[in-house]
Amino acid sequence: MSWSDALRLAFESATRRFGRTVLTVLAVTLASALLVALATIVVTANSRVINQVSKGGPITAIRVAAARAEPGQLETDDFRLGSPLRIDEATIAGIERSEGVDAVAPVLDLEVLAVPPRVPGGPQRIFERMVGVDLRHPERLPVTVLAGRLPAAGLSNETAVTLGYLDRLRLDADDPERALGQRVAMAHAQVVPSVTGELDYRGRWVAAEIVGVVAQEAAPGMFLVPIEQVQEDRDWALRGVGDGDRQPLPRSPFSGLIVVADTLGDVHDVREAIDDLGYSTSAPEQLIANVQRYLRVVDIVLGAIGLIALVIAALGITNAMLAQVRERRREIGVLKAIGARDRDVQRVFLLEAGFVGAAGGVAGTALGIVTAAAVGAVVNRYLAQQGLQGVELSVPLAIVVAGIGGATALALVAGTVPARRAARLPAREAVGGA
Amino acid sequence: MVISPRDPRAPGVTVVTSGLRHTYPTAGGDLVVLHGLDLEVPGGGYAALTGASGAGKSTLLSLLGGLEAVQEGVAEVGGRSIATLRGDDLATYRRETVGFVFQHYGLVPVLSALENIELALSLTGIDRDERRDRARTLLASVGLADREHHRPSTLSGGERQRVAIARAMANDPRLLLADEPTGNLDEQAAAQVLGLLESMRTEHGCTLIVVTHNRSVAERATMRLRLDGGRLAA
Repeated sequence: MSWSDALRLAFESATRRFGRTVLTVLAVTLASALLVALATIVVTANSRVINQVSKGGPITAIRVAAARAEPGQLETDDFRLGSPLRIDEATIAGIERSEGVDAVAPVLDLEVLAVPPRVPGGPQRIFERMVGVDLRHPERLPVTVLAGRLPAAGLSNETAVTLGYLDRLRLDADDPERALGQRVAMAHAQVVPSVTGELDYRGRWVAAEIVGVVAQEAAPGMFLVPIEQVQEDRDWALRGVGDGDRQPLPRSPFSGLIVVADTLGDVHDVREAIDDLGYSTSAPEQLIANVQRYLRVVDIVLGAIGLIALVIAALGITNAMLAQVRERRREIGVLKAIGARDRDVQRVFLLEAGFVGAAGGVAGTALGIVTAAAVGAVVNRYLAQQGLQGVELSVPLAIVVAGIGGATALALVAGTVPARRAARLPAREAVGGA
Repeated sequence: MVISPRDPRAPGVTVVTSGLRHTYPTAGGDLVVLHGLDLEVPGGGYAALTGASGAGKSTLLSLLGGLEAVQEGVAEVGGRSIATLRGDDLATYRRETVGFVFQHYGLVPVLSALENIELALSLTGIDRDERRDRARTLLASVGLADREHHRPSTLSGGERQRVAIARAMANDPRLLLADEPTGNLDEQAAAQVLGLLESMRTEHGCTLIVVTHNRSVAERATMRLRLDGGRLAA
């Protein structure tokens, strides 16, 4: 008997004994649905937790400060800042050449005087830092848009603000959209000698529209703008004389860098390479390692629950098929009496088990994804109530393949014993047994 | 109606047993069912096996059909000892040499009449179109062309047995064994089935051995063999 004939016979046998097949498929469906739902929730939750740890930016991001590293820098996730150290294009080129580096994004921040719109009880002016980043590649930055959008790269009349800005202006953090469209006047000071010989200050004013509200960890500061705007302000400041410690001239072309490593495993080596160049760095590698360890425990526990469900389903398949073998002894005997070999009979029963597993796997995977989506919707509603960003359901193809393939393989394993038992039944069963 | 065999074959095989002995283990010790049975049915012959229940009729048929292993003695079909056949060789013997008709019909309940016949043909590896054509011809030869999509549960007893005969003839057997083929049928259906078996024997030239309790059935055979206590009665 060919495989196609055996498959056809198995299919007919499974579909025409509908009630029994449905019950067995249902057991597999529920088990695979549980496993797929758990796997989907775990994968989604993991990415959410890791995203939180990496502050919304790439998980492999390393922050570099325009300062020398103090001893023991690599033993901690935080900066250990020493004396100032210039970061320029040559520094960026040098780091880009290092092994394991995917991208390098410059950061430049300056202190600004901002005049926000008048709000009852709000400040008339704010001294804050303006953070300039390369907005052509926002994916390289630890920036999460909470409302609106990022400023367009190269424009000097758009800005994004942080939740800290909303707090300063007594705006509702749960309703960040209200800040959008407002205009803020911002100025960086230039220090020049006056006619009397004393120092005088003058500002270069820019009116920017708030186009987005963000959470950002590129550098401390409430205003996120294109790096070109901050570079213009820096050049303006450099044309002045500086004011010692109070208003020092920004000597370094960039105040920091965001270096993105190829993989999580490369982060430490890249940090080491940057450390060799003398720069202080910060990356949540130890925090991520600890979080991953805990997540691994959660994976194992949830995986074990799913596996127990699958084993129970497998036992259900074995039991149902053993019952079928008992009930179909005469039919099996007749198959042999008309010339079927032991392996033909075994093949039919194995394929029948595989069919049940595949059907349960497909239905279970679909049900599992739907269940995970429903759980995700409930979680998102809760997160929104807490003022937190929601999760995006992540269903890797591997989960779908494993859901269907795993259930089929498990059913085949579960069907092995009944199939062997059927194959070993003597042909004399055709005449009712001896 | 004449069915063209798949390949030309010699007429029915000669069946010979000598000193055939068979026992079944029971709680009370071995139960001897056949006591050194000697018989011969010539090629193309038509033999009726009769005897009381427990006389060993069905056991003899199972041994000749390769459903049970020969324990002791000689059993030759077409000059070939079936006692030496094992595993795939035994399956090939059952598939190519023997056609079996059971009292309980032995049809696969989830398959239609046509599919039941195709099932037997599928074991020989012939292609699907040829298989279907041959199954249709066989079904028509037993007068059930209009029942091809009916499952066994929707057929009468006589119709089921006719489908079973068509299936038994699917691979053009040289030995047709029928175990109480009319045992579950009314008189009219029994006569129809018996007539069909006889015409199949005539058209295909196969040897026909029928186990029956029915004297009128036995009287239609050219050879009547009565078993008594596992031996051939005089």
